[in-house]
Amino acid sequence: MRRQDSKKSPGFVCPYCSAGFDAYEAVREHLLAKHSGQPIPEPPGTVSITVNGQAYKQQVQPEWTLYYLLHDKLGFTGAKQMCDRGACGSCTVIMDGRSILSCMTLAIECDGKRIETVEGVAAQDHPLIEEYVKNHCMQCGYCTPGFVVTAKGLLDRNIDPTEEEIREELAGNLCRCGTYPQHPKAVLEAARKLRARSEK
Amino acid sequence: MATDAKIMPVNPMEHDKYIPETFAVLGKRGVRRIDGQRKASGKAVYARDINLSGMLHTRFLTSPYPNARIKKMDTEKAEALPGVRCVLRYDDPEIEGKRAASTHGVEEEILSRNAYFEGQQLGVAIAADTEDIANEALALVRVEWEQRPFVLDPVEAVEPDAPPARLEWLGPSNKLPFFFGAGEAFRVGDVEKGLHEADRVIEFRTRRRYNGCADAEPLSGVVKWEGECAELWVHHQHPWEHKWVVHQWYPDVPMSKIKINSPYNGGMFGGWNWIDYSMIPTCVAAIMAKRTGKPVKWVFNRRDDFTFGAMDAMQTEYKVGMKLDGTITAVKVRTVFENMAIQAAGHLFENTRIPNIHSETLLVQVNKGPTHALRCEQLPPSSCLTHVFNHVAAELGLDATEVALKNDGCEGRGLDYLAEFKRDHGFPVRDSLRECIEAGKKAIDWDNKKHAPGAGKLPNGRMHGLSFTWTHEWDDTRGAACAGLMLQPDGTASIVGIRADVGVNAETTYCEVVAEEMGMRPEDVFFRNQDDAYLPLMTPDGSCNLTTNGYLMQKLGRMAKQKLLEMVTTSFNVIEYDVPAAFPGYTPDDLDVKDSVIFVKADPSVRKTVAEVALDVQGAVMRNKNDYAGIQYTAHPPVFVWAWHRQGRFGIEEGRHRLCRQAHFCEVEVDTETGEVEVKRVVNVNDVGKALSPEGVEGQQYGGTFMGIGRNRCEEYIWDEKTGVLLNGNLCDYKFATMNDIGSVDTVIVETGMGYGPYGSVGVGEVVATVTTYLLEGAIYNAIGKWVDDSPVTPDKVLAALGKA
Repeated sequence: MRRQDSKKSPGFVCPYCSAGFDAYEAVREHLLAKHSGQPIPEPPGTVSITVNGQAYKQQVQPEWTLYYLLHDKLGFTGAKQMCDRGACGSCTVIMDGRSILSCMTLAIECDGKRIETVEGVAAQDHPLIEEYVKNHCMQCGYCTPGFVVTAKGLLDRNIDPTEEEIREELAGNLCRCGTYPQHPKAVLEAARKLRARSEK
Repeated sequence: MATDAKIMPVNPMEHDKYIPETFAVLGKRGVRRIDGQRKASGKAVYARDINLSGMLHTRFLTSPYPNARIKKMDTEKAEALPGVRCVLRYDDPEIEGKRAASTHGVEEEILSRNAYFEGQQLGVAIAADTEDIANEALALVRVEWEQRPFVLDPVEAVEPDAPPARLEWLGPSNKLPFFFGAGEAFRVGDVEKGLHEADRVIEFRTRRRYNGCADAEPLSGVVKWEGECAELWVHHQHPWEHKWVVHQWYPDVPMSKIKINSPYNGGMFGGWNWIDYSMIPTCVAAIMAKRTGKPVKWVFNRRDDFTFGAMDAMQTEYKVGMKLDGTITAVKVRTVFENMAIQAAGHLFENTRIPNIHSETLLVQVNKGPTHALRCEQLPPSSCLTHVFNHVAAELGLDATEVALKNDGCEGRGLDYLAEFKRDHGFPVRDSLRECIEAGKKAIDWDNKKHAPGAGKLPNGRMHGLSFTWTHEWDDTRGAACAGLMLQPDGTASIVGIRADVGVNAETTYCEVVAEEMGMRPEDVFFRNQDDAYLPLMTPDGSCNLTTNGYLMQKLGRMAKQKLLEMVTTSFNVIEYDVPAAFPGYTPDDLDVKDSVIFVKADPSVRKTVAEVALDVQGAVMRNKNDYAGIQYTAHPPVFVWAWHRQGRFGIEEGRHRLCRQAHFCEVEVDTETGEVEVKRVVNVNDVGKALSPEGVEGQQYGGTFMGIGRNRCEEYIWDEKTGVLLNGNLCDYKFATMNDIGSVDTVIVETGMGYGPYGSVGVGEVVATVTTYLLEGAIYNAIGKWVDDSPVTPDKVLAALGKA
C-alpha cells in the first residue's frame, strides 16, 4: 500500500477508503478501527463483468482494451482485430444492450457491464447464425462475427428493420472479401424468423 | 498478318473431356458450406487467435526512413526491460547476412540492416511476455541511422542523377530485373506497319497509383518446439512452404519433424506469399522459440501489414491504330512500373486478333514497399486491354461491345482459328464472348441506356455513365496437388490434405466433387485441415485452387468408390473366422453408389448404406465377436486412397489458348459539382466453363466487384513527398469499399464447358476483382465526356477533368 509515485502524497493509503497516512502505524490503526471485519478489498484494476451470462472477475491493466480482455484473456476469440482503431467493426460486442467496438473500449471502464459476444449470440440459437450460413455471408470469415453481433444489436432494438436500415447499421463493418450483398438478405430473414417466434 | 499461332503439342495440359450430362451434387444450389457455422458463430480459429501456454510475443523494428542503413544499434535498455525474453539483432552470429529460404526465392536478409522503404521490418526483433512489453522494449532501442536520399517516383528514379533506391541489391541503377512474365520487350507483328495501315491513330496516357492488400487479418504466426520437433501455426496461402523454410534454416531438423497447422485465413489475396516478409518472421520465431524454450508468436499490426502493394502501380503511354469499323491494327505500349510487375500487353495478345503489338516495360525500384501479385498479377494486362478498347470505341463513336466482338480472337488470329482449335481438342465450340455480352447487355439494359459521352443528363442533375470491358477467363489451371481420402468406420469420408482455402469455400466444393464421384451425400464428406503429413493442395494462386484440386478430388472420389465396391464384394479372414462380403456373389461392376447407399444395379432393392457396410466390415468384427481389444479397427485394410494431380505448368503454356470470356458492365452517376461518382450497378457475366458451386462463383463475382470497383474509387497509398513516410497505413485513412459503396451487383454465370479444369471449369476467384478495377474510367468518360485515366478516380480528378479544380 505504499505509494511510489509522488513525494508529496502520503506514504500509505487505506485500501478501503483511500484515506492517506504518513506512517504505517497510522494506517494500521485506521484499518483496525474503521474497517475491521470487512472483506479484503479487491486489488486495483479489478473489474467484474458478465459475458454471455457468465460472471468474470479479472484484474486488468489500465491500458487493456475490452477486446484484449475478451480475446486474449478470457478466450472469446470470436471478437476479431482487423483495424485496431474503430474503423472496421470486426471486434463488435454488445455492452448493456448497445453495440460497441471492443478495440476502442478500455477494459477498466467495463466494471459491472453485461457483455454479449458472438459466442453468446450463437449459444442462444439466434436465427442470424443459420441465415448467415445459408446466405454465404462469409468468405474468409474473419469479419463475420462482427457483422453478426452488429446485426444482433440491430434486431434487439428493431425486430422488423427495413433493408435500408440494415445497410445503414452494417455500413461500418468492413469485409475485404466483399460479401456485403448477402448480409441484408440474411438479416431480413433472421428478423422474419424472430417475429414468427415471438408471435408463437 | 498475324504471327503463326503455336499449336498445342500432344496434350501436356489435361482437360476434362468426359463431362457427365447430369450431376447429382455439382452445380446444385443449397449445399451447406462446411465452414459456415464455425465462421458465423466465432468458433473458426485463425492464426491471430492462437494463444499457447507460456507463449511469448514478438514484434519487429520498422524503419522510420525510406532509404537508410543501420550504422549502430544499442539494445541494452530493451534487453534489461522486465518481461523481455529474447532480443535478436541483425548482427547476431546465427543470422547475420543470412536469408530466409522460400520456394519463391530469397531477397531479404533475416533482419536486414538496410531499409529501402519506410515501415520495413528490419534490424531487431524482440520477444517478450506480452505484445505491449515487446513494443515498449522496441521503443528503448537506440539506432544510429545513415539516412540516404530516396526516390518515390519511377520516372524520376530512372533519371541519371536519381539516388539509388536499393543500393545493396541493385547497385547504382534503379532498374529491376524481370522476375516473371514476358520480359521487358514484347513484340508481335510490325507495329509501325500496323499504324501506317490504320484509318486513325490515337495516343494517350494512363496511370494507376500504388494500392495494396488490406486483408482482414493482419499477419501473424506461432512457432513452438517440442524437443527436436517444431510445430507452426501460419496465416498464409502457402502453408506448406513454411515447413520448407524451417527445414532450410535448421537442416538437421528433417521435414518429418516439422508440423504445420493452417488455421483459417483471415483473407489473403496473393502478395504475401511471394515475399520474404512473410517468411522472415517464421524464421525469427523459430530461432527465438528455440532459444527461449517457449512458444513464440509474432504479430504484425495493421500498419506493418501495409508493407506491400499490388503490382499495377504503373504509368503507361499508348499509341493505337484502328480501322473505322473498329478493327484494331496496332498497339504500342510503354509502361513504367513501380517495383515488380509483369508486362502489360498480355491480354491484348492472348485475347484478340490484333496482329501488331509492341509493348515495352520498365520495372523501376522506388523507395516504396514491394509490389506483388495481389488479386492479381493480371491487373496490368487487364488495365491495358480495357484502356485500349475504351479509347478505340470512344474515338470511333462505336458501341464498346461491338469493338470487343470485332477484335475477339487469339494471338493475332480470329474466331475461326479458335473454333478449329476447340474442335481439335475436344472442347465445345461456342462463342463465349458473344454469349457473355448478350447476357450482360440484357441484364443492364445496355441498348436502351447507352448514349453518347456527356449526353446522359439525369433528372437529378447528375450525369449518367455506362461502361463495358471484357477479357478472357483465368485459365491458370496449373500446379500440383496431393491429398488422401479415408473412409471412417461410420461411413463418412475424410479428405486429408493441407488447407489451401483462403475463404472462397473451395473446401465445401472438394467435398461436393468427392461426393459426386463416389456417390456419397455431400454431408457425408468432410475436409478438415490435416497438418502433419505433407499433402499440399494447390493454393489459390491464379484461380487454380479448384481447377487443379478439383481434378484431385475427382480422382479421389473415383478411386475410393472403386475400393469401397471391391471391399463390399470381398470376404476376408480374421485368423479364426471368416467375414462374408457385404454383397456376396457380386462384383464391383454389379454395384453402384448413390446418396451414400450401395445397391445392385440390376436390383436396386438389394442395398446397404455405406455406413452399414463400413461398420460391418471395419467395426462389426469386434462387436460381434467381442474381440475389440485384439482387433480394434484393423480387421480389414481401411478404405484409404491417395492421389496426386499435375496440371500444366503455369497454365499459360504456349499453344494452350484461353477459350472462355468474361464481360463486365457498370452504370454510374457523376455529380459534376462535387466530382462524386456513385456506382449504381455492376453486372458481371463470367463464363466459368462449369459452375461447380454456383454460390461460390457468385461470391467471387460480387465479392471481387467490391474489391475491384472499390479500389479504383479510393484506394491509394499516400506518401509524404518530403520524408517518404507512408501517411495512410491504417484503415481509417486507407479506405476500401463498404456495403453502401455499390448500389447493386448482378451476377450472371455462363457455362460453356470450355475450361481446362475439371468438368470444363475455369477459375473465377481473381478475374472479377482484377477486371472490374478498370470499369470506372469508361463509365466516367461516358458520363462527362472527359477521360480520367489516373486511378483511383477520386472526385478531385473528376473535377479537374471538368476544368473545375
